[in-house]
Amino acid sequence: MSQQHSVQTMESHWGGGVSPFAVGWNKLMMWLFIITDALLFAGLLSGYGFVRQISPQWPDRSEVFHLEFIALMTFILISSSATMATAVGAARQGNRKMATRFVLLTVLGGLAFLGMQAYEWTTLIGEGARLYTNPWGVPHFGAAFFLITGFHGSHVLSGVIILAIVALRNALGRSTAEGVELAGLYWHFVDLVWVFVFTLFYLI
Amino acid sequence: MEKTLHQVSYRVYWLTWILLLGITLFMIAIGYSAIPRLPKVLLLLMTMFTKGSLIAAYFMHLRFEKLQLIYTVALGILVTAAILWTFITFDGMRILQLSLR
Repeated sequence: MSQQHSVQTMESHWGGGVSPFAVGWNKLMMWLFIITDALLFAGLLSGYGFVRQISPQWPDRSEVFHLEFIALMTFILISSSATMATAVGAARQGNRKMATRFVLLTVLGGLAFLGMQAYEWTTLIGEGARLYTNPWGVPHFGAAFFLITGFHGSHVLSGVIILAIVALRNALGRSTAEGVELAGLYWHFVDLVWVFVFTLFYLI
Repeated sequence: MEKTLHQVSYRVYWLTWILLLGITLFMIAIGYSAIPRLPKVLLLLMTMFTKGSLIAAYFMHLRFEKLQLIYTVALGILVTAAILWTFITFDGMRILQLSLR
Protein backbone atom coordinates (compact mmCIF):
# COMPACT_ATOMS: atom_id res chain seq x y z
CA MET A 1 0.00 0.00 0.00
CA SER A 2 2.75 2.39 0.98
CA GLN A 3 4.71 1.40 -2.13
CA GLN A 4 1.66 2.09 -4.28
CA HIS A 5 1.27 5.48 -2.62
CA SER A 6 4.92 6.25 -3.28
CA VAL A 7 4.58 5.40 -7.00
CA GLN A 8 1.51 7.64 -7.28
CA THR A 9 3.37 10.53 -5.66
CA MET A 10 6.28 10.16 -8.07
CA GLU A 11 3.98 10.06 -11.08
CA SER A 12 2.06 13.12 -10.03
CA HIS A 13 5.32 14.95 -9.33
CA TRP A 14 6.68 14.16 -12.82
CA GLY A 15 3.39 14.99 -14.50
CA GLY A 16 4.70 14.34 -17.98
CA GLY A 17 4.15 10.61 -18.40
CA VAL A 18 6.23 9.13 -21.22
CA SER A 19 6.08 12.33 -23.27
CA PRO A 20 6.66 15.36 -21.03
CA PHE A 21 6.76 17.80 -23.95
CA ALA A 22 3.75 16.25 -25.70
CA VAL A 23 5.56 16.31 -29.04
CA GLY A 24 7.15 13.60 -31.17
CA TRP A 25 10.89 12.91 -30.85
CA ASN A 26 11.65 14.45 -34.24
CA LYS A 27 9.96 17.72 -33.34
CA LEU A 28 11.77 17.77 -30.00
CA MET A 29 15.08 17.18 -31.79
CA MET A 30 14.29 20.05 -34.16
CA TRP A 31 13.69 22.33 -31.16
CA LEU A 32 17.00 21.23 -29.60
CA PHE A 33 18.75 21.91 -32.90
CA ILE A 34 17.12 25.37 -33.02
CA ILE A 35 18.35 26.10 -29.47
CA THR A 36 21.93 25.20 -30.37
CA ASP A 37 21.78 27.10 -33.66
CA ALA A 38 20.35 30.13 -31.82
CA LEU A 39 23.38 30.01 -29.53
CA LEU A 40 25.67 29.99 -32.57
CA PHE A 41 24.08 33.19 -33.85
CA ALA A 42 24.03 34.65 -30.31
CA GLY A 43 27.81 34.07 -30.22
CA LEU A 44 28.32 35.66 -33.63
CA LEU A 45 26.18 38.69 -32.80
CA SER A 46 27.83 39.09 -29.36
CA GLY A 47 31.23 38.96 -31.08
CA TYR A 48 30.03 41.63 -33.51
CA GLY A 49 28.84 43.78 -30.59
CA PHE A 50 32.21 43.45 -28.90
CA VAL A 51 34.17 44.22 -32.08
CA ARG A 52 31.99 47.27 -32.62
CA GLN A 53 32.64 48.45 -29.07
CA ILE A 54 36.42 48.17 -29.37
CA SER A 55 36.52 49.86 -32.79
CA PRO A 56 37.20 53.59 -32.41
CA GLN A 57 34.71 54.25 -35.22
CA TRP A 58 32.15 52.32 -37.24
CA PRO A 59 30.98 53.06 -40.79
CA ASP A 60 27.83 55.15 -41.10
CA ARG A 61 25.24 52.61 -42.25
CA SER A 62 23.58 55.13 -44.61
CA GLU A 63 26.90 55.37 -46.50
CA VAL A 64 27.27 51.61 -46.80
CA PHE A 65 23.77 50.13 -47.08
CA HIS A 66 20.61 51.03 -48.95
CA LEU A 67 18.13 50.63 -46.13
CA GLU A 68 15.11 50.55 -48.47
CA PHE A 69 16.66 47.54 -50.21
CA ILE A 70 17.33 45.76 -46.90
CA ALA A 71 13.77 46.60 -45.77
CA LEU A 72 12.47 44.91 -48.93
CA MET A 73 14.57 41.81 -48.13
CA THR A 74 13.05 41.82 -44.64
CA PHE A 75 9.55 42.18 -46.09
CA ILE A 76 10.14 39.19 -48.38
CA LEU A 77 11.48 36.99 -45.56
CA ILE A 78 8.62 37.86 -43.17
CA SER A 79 6.10 37.22 -45.96
CA SER A 80 7.73 33.86 -46.70
CA SER A 81 7.31 32.98 -43.02
CA ALA A 82 3.59 33.77 -43.29
CA THR A 83 3.24 31.56 -46.38
CA MET A 84 5.13 28.78 -44.56
CA ALA A 85 2.82 29.05 -41.53
CA THR A 86 -0.15 28.77 -43.91
CA ALA A 87 1.44 25.70 -45.52
CA VAL A 88 1.81 24.07 -42.09
CA GLY A 89 -1.83 24.89 -41.29
CA ALA A 90 -2.96 23.37 -44.61
CA ALA A 91 -0.83 20.24 -44.04
CA ARG A 92 -2.38 19.79 -40.61
CA GLN A 93 -5.84 20.02 -42.17
CA GLY A 94 -4.83 17.37 -44.70
CA ASN A 95 -5.02 19.83 -47.61
CA ARG A 96 -1.96 18.53 -49.44
CA LYS A 97 -2.44 20.64 -52.60
CA MET A 98 -2.67 23.91 -50.69
CA ALA A 99 0.29 22.94 -48.49
CA THR A 100 2.46 22.22 -51.56
CA ARG A 101 1.45 25.52 -53.18
CA PHE A 102 2.34 27.55 -50.09
CA VAL A 103 5.63 25.69 -49.53
CA LEU A 104 6.54 26.54 -53.14
CA LEU A 105 5.63 30.20 -52.51
CA THR A 106 7.97 30.09 -49.50
CA VAL A 107 10.73 28.65 -51.71
CA LEU A 108 10.19 31.56 -54.13
CA GLY A 109 10.48 34.02 -51.23
CA GLY A 110 13.70 32.34 -50.09
CA LEU A 111 15.16 32.46 -53.61
CA ALA A 112 14.25 36.15 -53.94
CA PHE A 113 15.94 36.86 -50.60
CA LEU A 114 19.08 34.96 -51.67
CA GLY A 115 19.18 36.79 -55.00
CA MET A 116 18.95 40.13 -53.22
CA GLN A 117 21.64 39.15 -50.75
CA ALA A 118 23.92 38.10 -53.61
CA TYR A 119 23.30 41.52 -55.20
CA GLU A 120 24.12 43.28 -51.91
CA TRP A 121 27.34 41.28 -51.49
CA THR A 122 28.36 41.90 -55.12
CA THR A 123 27.76 45.64 -54.74
CA LEU A 124 29.81 45.85 -51.53
CA ILE A 125 32.62 43.71 -52.96
CA GLY A 126 32.58 45.96 -56.05
CA GLU A 127 33.04 48.95 -53.74
CA GLY A 128 36.13 47.29 -52.28
CA ALA A 129 34.78 45.55 -49.19
CA ARG A 130 36.71 42.42 -48.23
CA LEU A 131 36.98 40.25 -45.10
CA TYR A 132 39.88 42.30 -43.70
CA THR A 133 39.81 45.58 -45.60
CA ASN A 134 37.18 48.02 -46.78
CA PRO A 135 36.98 51.61 -48.04
CA TRP A 136 35.35 52.79 -44.82
CA GLY A 137 38.52 52.31 -42.79
CA VAL A 138 37.18 49.83 -40.22
CA PRO A 139 38.78 46.42 -40.92
CA HIS A 140 36.46 44.54 -38.54
CA PHE A 141 33.39 45.75 -40.38
CA GLY A 142 33.95 43.50 -43.40
CA ALA A 143 34.67 40.43 -41.25
CA ALA A 144 31.54 40.97 -39.13
CA PHE A 145 29.32 41.73 -42.13
CA PHE A 146 30.39 38.84 -44.37
CA LEU A 147 30.51 36.33 -41.51
CA ILE A 148 27.10 37.10 -40.03
CA THR A 149 25.15 37.66 -43.26
CA GLY A 150 27.03 34.76 -44.85
CA PHE A 151 26.09 32.37 -42.05
CA HIS A 152 22.49 33.54 -42.23
CA GLY A 153 22.49 33.27 -46.03
CA SER A 154 23.78 29.69 -45.82
CA HIS A 155 20.87 28.90 -43.50
CA VAL A 156 18.44 30.43 -46.02
CA LEU A 157 20.01 28.37 -48.81
CA SER A 158 19.73 25.11 -46.85
CA GLY A 159 16.17 26.08 -45.91
CA VAL A 160 15.27 26.59 -49.58
CA ILE A 161 16.73 23.16 -50.46
CA ILE A 162 14.87 21.47 -47.57
CA LEU A 163 11.60 23.18 -48.52
CA ALA A 164 11.98 22.22 -52.19
CA ILE A 165 12.40 18.58 -51.13
CA VAL A 166 9.40 18.86 -48.77
CA ALA A 167 7.29 20.40 -51.57
CA LEU A 168 8.24 17.57 -53.92
CA ARG A 169 7.59 14.86 -51.33
CA ASN A 170 4.31 16.50 -50.37
CA ALA A 171 3.18 16.70 -53.99
CA LEU A 172 4.00 12.99 -54.39
CA GLY A 173 2.08 12.17 -51.22
CA ARG A 174 5.16 11.00 -49.36
CA SER A 175 5.36 13.72 -46.72
CA THR A 176 3.46 13.87 -43.45
CA ALA A 177 1.98 16.97 -41.80
CA GLU A 178 4.73 16.73 -39.19
CA GLY A 179 7.38 16.74 -41.93
CA VAL A 180 6.00 20.03 -43.28
CA GLU A 181 5.81 21.40 -39.73
CA LEU A 182 9.47 20.54 -38.99
CA ALA A 183 10.64 22.27 -42.18
CA GLY A 184 8.42 25.19 -41.19
CA LEU A 185 10.04 25.42 -37.74
CA TYR A 186 13.45 25.67 -39.36
CA TRP A 187 12.27 28.32 -41.83
CA HIS A 188 10.69 30.46 -39.10
CA PHE A 189 13.93 30.21 -37.14
CA VAL A 190 15.81 31.58 -40.16
CA ASP A 191 13.32 34.47 -40.24
CA LEU A 192 13.73 34.98 -36.48
CA VAL A 193 17.51 35.25 -36.82
CA TRP A 194 17.10 37.83 -39.57
CA VAL A 195 15.03 40.00 -37.19
CA PHE A 196 18.10 40.17 -34.92
CA VAL A 197 20.61 40.65 -37.77
CA PHE A 198 18.46 43.37 -39.39
CA THR A 199 18.13 45.31 -36.12
CA LEU A 200 21.64 44.93 -34.79
CA PHE A 201 23.53 45.29 -38.05
CA TYR A 202 21.45 47.57 -40.24
CA LEU A 203 19.45 49.74 -37.84
CA ILE A 204 21.62 50.31 -34.75
CA MET B 1 2.01 9.01 -27.31
CA GLU B 2 0.06 12.13 -26.53
CA LYS B 3 0.77 14.86 -29.06
CA THR B 4 -0.60 18.38 -29.26
CA LEU B 5 -1.68 19.32 -32.77
CA HIS B 6 -3.41 22.64 -32.37
CA GLN B 7 -5.17 23.90 -35.43
CA VAL B 8 -4.52 27.62 -35.64
CA SER B 9 -6.72 29.72 -37.89
CA TYR B 10 -5.10 31.15 -41.05
CA ARG B 11 -6.38 34.53 -39.86
CA VAL B 12 -3.94 34.38 -36.92
CA TYR B 13 -0.99 33.88 -39.31
CA TRP B 14 -1.94 36.76 -41.57
CA LEU B 15 -2.67 39.07 -38.62
CA THR B 16 0.78 38.20 -37.23
CA TRP B 17 2.24 38.95 -40.67
CA ILE B 18 0.57 42.39 -40.80
CA LEU B 19 1.72 43.12 -37.25
CA LEU B 20 5.31 42.10 -38.09
CA LEU B 21 5.32 44.33 -41.18
CA GLY B 22 3.92 47.22 -39.15
CA ILE B 23 6.60 46.78 -36.48
CA THR B 24 9.30 46.59 -39.19
CA LEU B 25 8.12 49.90 -40.68
CA PHE B 26 8.10 51.40 -37.18
CA MET B 27 11.68 50.18 -36.63
CA ILE B 28 12.86 51.69 -39.91
CA ALA B 29 11.20 54.99 -38.93
CA ILE B 30 13.07 54.87 -35.59
CA GLY B 31 16.29 54.07 -37.45
CA TYR B 32 15.91 57.20 -39.60
CA SER B 33 14.69 59.44 -36.76
CA ALA B 34 16.89 61.98 -35.01
CA ILE B 35 16.12 60.82 -31.46
CA PRO B 36 19.13 60.44 -29.09
CA ARG B 37 21.18 57.26 -29.42
CA LEU B 38 20.38 55.58 -26.10
CA PRO B 39 16.55 55.76 -26.32
CA LYS B 40 16.80 54.83 -30.00
CA VAL B 41 18.83 51.70 -29.25
CA LEU B 42 16.55 50.72 -26.34
CA LEU B 43 13.44 51.21 -28.49
CA LEU B 44 14.93 49.17 -31.33
CA LEU B 45 15.93 46.35 -28.96
CA MET B 46 12.43 46.29 -27.45
CA THR B 47 10.76 46.12 -30.85
CA MET B 48 13.28 43.48 -31.98
CA PHE B 49 12.37 41.22 -29.05
CA THR B 50 8.66 41.87 -29.67
CA LYS B 51 9.05 40.76 -33.29
CA GLY B 52 11.06 37.71 -32.28
CA SER B 53 8.45 36.74 -29.68
CA LEU B 54 5.62 37.07 -32.22
CA ILE B 55 7.43 34.78 -34.68
CA ALA B 56 8.22 32.20 -31.99
CA ALA B 57 4.75 32.33 -30.43
CA TYR B 58 2.50 32.25 -33.51
CA PHE B 59 4.53 31.15 -36.56
CA MET B 60 6.48 28.53 -34.59
CA HIS B 61 3.39 27.65 -32.52
CA LEU B 62 5.32 27.89 -29.27
CA ARG B 63 2.35 29.64 -27.66
CA PHE B 64 0.29 26.46 -28.14
CA GLU B 65 2.89 23.99 -26.88
CA LYS B 66 3.14 22.61 -23.35
CA LEU B 67 4.79 24.82 -20.74
CA GLN B 68 7.64 22.32 -20.36
CA LEU B 69 8.66 22.84 -23.98
CA ILE B 70 8.32 26.63 -23.76
CA TYR B 71 10.52 26.72 -20.64
CA THR B 72 13.07 24.37 -22.19
CA VAL B 73 13.41 26.49 -25.32
CA ALA B 74 13.35 29.90 -23.59
CA LEU B 75 15.47 29.00 -20.57
CA GLY B 76 17.77 26.78 -22.64
CA ILE B 77 18.69 29.72 -24.84
CA LEU B 78 18.70 32.43 -22.15
CA VAL B 79 20.60 30.54 -19.43
CA THR B 80 23.25 29.11 -21.77
CA ALA B 81 23.68 32.49 -23.47
CA ALA B 82 24.01 34.18 -20.07
CA ILE B 83 26.66 31.68 -18.91
CA LEU B 84 28.64 31.98 -22.15
CA TRP B 85 28.32 35.78 -22.15
CA THR B 86 29.45 36.05 -18.54
CA PHE B 87 32.60 34.03 -19.09
CA ILE B 88 33.47 35.49 -22.48
CA THR B 89 32.89 39.10 -21.44
CA PHE B 90 35.62 39.03 -18.78
CA ASP B 91 38.15 37.81 -21.33
CA GLY B 92 36.84 40.28 -23.88
CA MET B 93 37.19 43.22 -21.51
CA ARG B 94 40.68 42.09 -20.57
CA ILE B 95 41.69 42.01 -24.23
CA LEU B 96 40.18 45.47 -24.64
CA GLN B 97 42.22 46.81 -21.70
CA LEU B 98 45.40 45.20 -23.07
CA SER B 99 44.80 46.74 -26.50
CA LEU B 100 44.33 50.19 -24.96
CA ARG B 101 47.70 50.09 -23.14
